[in-house]
Amino acid sequence: MSSEHRLFSEDPSQRKLSLPWGRTVEMCWRNLKNRRGRFLLVFLSIAVVVAFFVSTLSYHRLLEELRGRDDVHTRAVLERGGVLSHNPEADRKHRDQMVWLLVLSGMLCFVGVMNTMYMSVTERYREIGTLKCLGALDSFVVRLFLLESVFIGAVGSALGALGGFLLTLFQIGVTLEFGLIGVGHVMRTLAQTAPPAFAGGTALTVLAAIYPTIAAARMKPVDAMRVEV
Amino acid sequence: MSKREIVRTQGVWKTYYMGSEEVHALRGISISVEAGEYISIMGPSGSGKSTFFNMVGGLDKPTSGEVYIDEVDISQLGIYELAWLRCRKIGYIFQTFNLIPVMNALENVSLPMVFAGLGADESRDKAAALLARVGLGDRLTHRPIEMSGGQQQRVAIARALANDPAIILADEPTGNLDLKTGREIIDLLTEMKEERNVTIITATHDHKMLAASDRVIWFTDGQVTRIQNREDLDIRVGTIGGAEEA
Ligand SMILES: Nc1ncnc2c1ncn2[C@@H]1O[C@H](COP(=O)(O)OP(=O)(O)O)[C@@H](O)[C@H]1O
Ligand SMILES: [Mg+2]
Repeated sequence: MSSEHRLFSEDPSQRKLSLPWGRTVEMCWRNLKNRRGRFLLVFLSIAVVVAFFVSTLSYHRLLEELRGRDDVHTRAVLERGGVLSHNPEADRKHRDQMVWLLVLSGMLCFVGVMNTMYMSVTERYREIGTLKCLGALDSFVVRLFLLESVFIGAVGSALGALGGFLLTLFQIGVTLEFGLIGVGHVMRTLAQTAPPAFAGGTALTVLAAIYPTIAAARMKPVDAMRVEV
Repeated sequence: MSKREIVRTQGVWKTYYMGSEEVHALRGISISVEAGEYISIMGPSGSGKSTFFNMVGGLDKPTSGEVYIDEVDISQLGIYELAWLRCRKIGYIFQTFNLIPVMNALENVSLPMVFAGLGADESRDKAAALLARVGLGDRLTHRPIEMSGGQQQRVAIARALANDPAIILADEPTGNLDLKTGREIIDLLTEMKEERNVTIITATHDHKMLAASDRVIWFTDGQVTRIQNREDLDIRVGTIGGAEEA
C-alpha cells in the first residue's frame, strides 16, 4: 500500500486551518446585513444610553462653566432657566443623583444588550455547529462573533454620541439660549464626554457577547447542532 | 489492488445520562469499512444511527471503544487535528441540509476551502465547478431560502466534496425530500463515489437507499444485527422496490 494515500501521512505542519481577516469581515458584514432587524434593537438600546450619558454630562459641564461666569447677562439667563446656583450643597446632591441615574441606566442597558446578544448567538447554535463540522476552530467562531459585537457596539455608541450632541444643543436651546455658548464650545465639551461614553458603550456590548460566544464556540458540534430554536 | 480499511470501530458504546436514567444509544459497535465502499446503515428511528455517525465523524466521543479513521484512533487527536480532519478528510451531509442561511450557494461551498487555506479566487472557481457538477451551475448566487430542498441538498453535497474528502457521512440525506428528489440525491451520491473514489457512509431508514449500497449494516437498538453484501441485497431490494411500486 502506498503511503501517499494515507490520510495522516501529510506533514503535520501542513495541516493548516485558517480564516483570513478579509473573510471574517465579509462574513460579519453578511450577518449584520441579513439580521438587521434583530441588531437594530441592540443598536437602539446602546445608542439611547450613550446619548443620555453624553448629553447629561455635557450639559452639566457647560452649566457649571456658565455658573462660573460673572457677567450680568449670563446670570439673567441662568436665572430665567431656573438653573442659577444658590446652594452648592443642593447642587452636589443633584449631581450625585445624576451619577446614580447614569449608573443605573447603564446597568439596565447592559442587561438589555446582554439579552439581545445572547439571543442572537443562541439562535445560531446550529450554524456554529455546522461551521465546526466544516473545520472551523473555536477561535474562528469567537472571532466572528466578537467582531460582530465590536461593530454593533461601535456603531451604536457612535450614533449615541451624535444623539447626545443634538440633545445637548436642544437642552441648551430650551432652558437657556444658544447665544450664550458657541457651538465650538459645545464641541470642545463633547470632545471630553463623547470618547469615554463611546468606549464604554462599545466595551459593554462586547462584554455582553463574550460569554455566550465562548460557550457556543466550546460546544461539541453535535450539541450545538441539536439545539432547536 | 490492496484493500484499505478507512473506518474501523472497536466496541463503541455511547451512553447518555438523562438524570438518573441511562440510555445506551450504542452497545458495542464493531465494524470495518473499506476505502471506496458505499455503506448504508439501516435501522428504525432511535436505533443509534445518528449517534454512530457522530462518533465516526469526530463530532462526539464514544463512552467507550475506539474509532479508527485510516488506522488513527481519533480519540487521540487534539482539538486542532480533529478540526483539520473534519475540514479536509470528512464531508458531512445532514437531513436538514444545514447550509449557512446568510450565504449563497457559492459561498457555502467555498467555506470549507477557505478554512483549508485556499485563496479566494481558487476556492470560488472550485466551488463553481462543483456546483455545476451537481447541476446547480445556474444557481450560484441563490441563498438557501431561495432554493428547494433538493437543490439545498445538492449544495450540501458540493460543500461536502469541497476539500476532496476521503469519507462522506450522510445522515438521512433524503429524509426531508420527496421520493423522486430523494432518488436523484442518491444517484448523485453514487456518481460521486464512482467519480471520486470517496467512501460513503449513509444512515437511513429508507429502503430506496439500499440499491446503491455495497453493503448494508442493520442496526437495532444500538447493536449491529445483520450485515448484507450487495449480492445478497439485490433480491430483497427487488422485492421491496416491486412491492412499493405495486
Ligand atoms: N443527546 C442525547 N441525549 C439523550 N439521549 C439521546 C441523545 N441523542 C440520542 N439519544 C438517544 O439515543 C438513541 C439513539 O438515537 P439516534 O442515534 O438519534 O437514533 P437514529 O439516528 O437511529 O434515529 C435514542 O434512544 C435517542 O433517544
Ligand atoms: Mg438519526
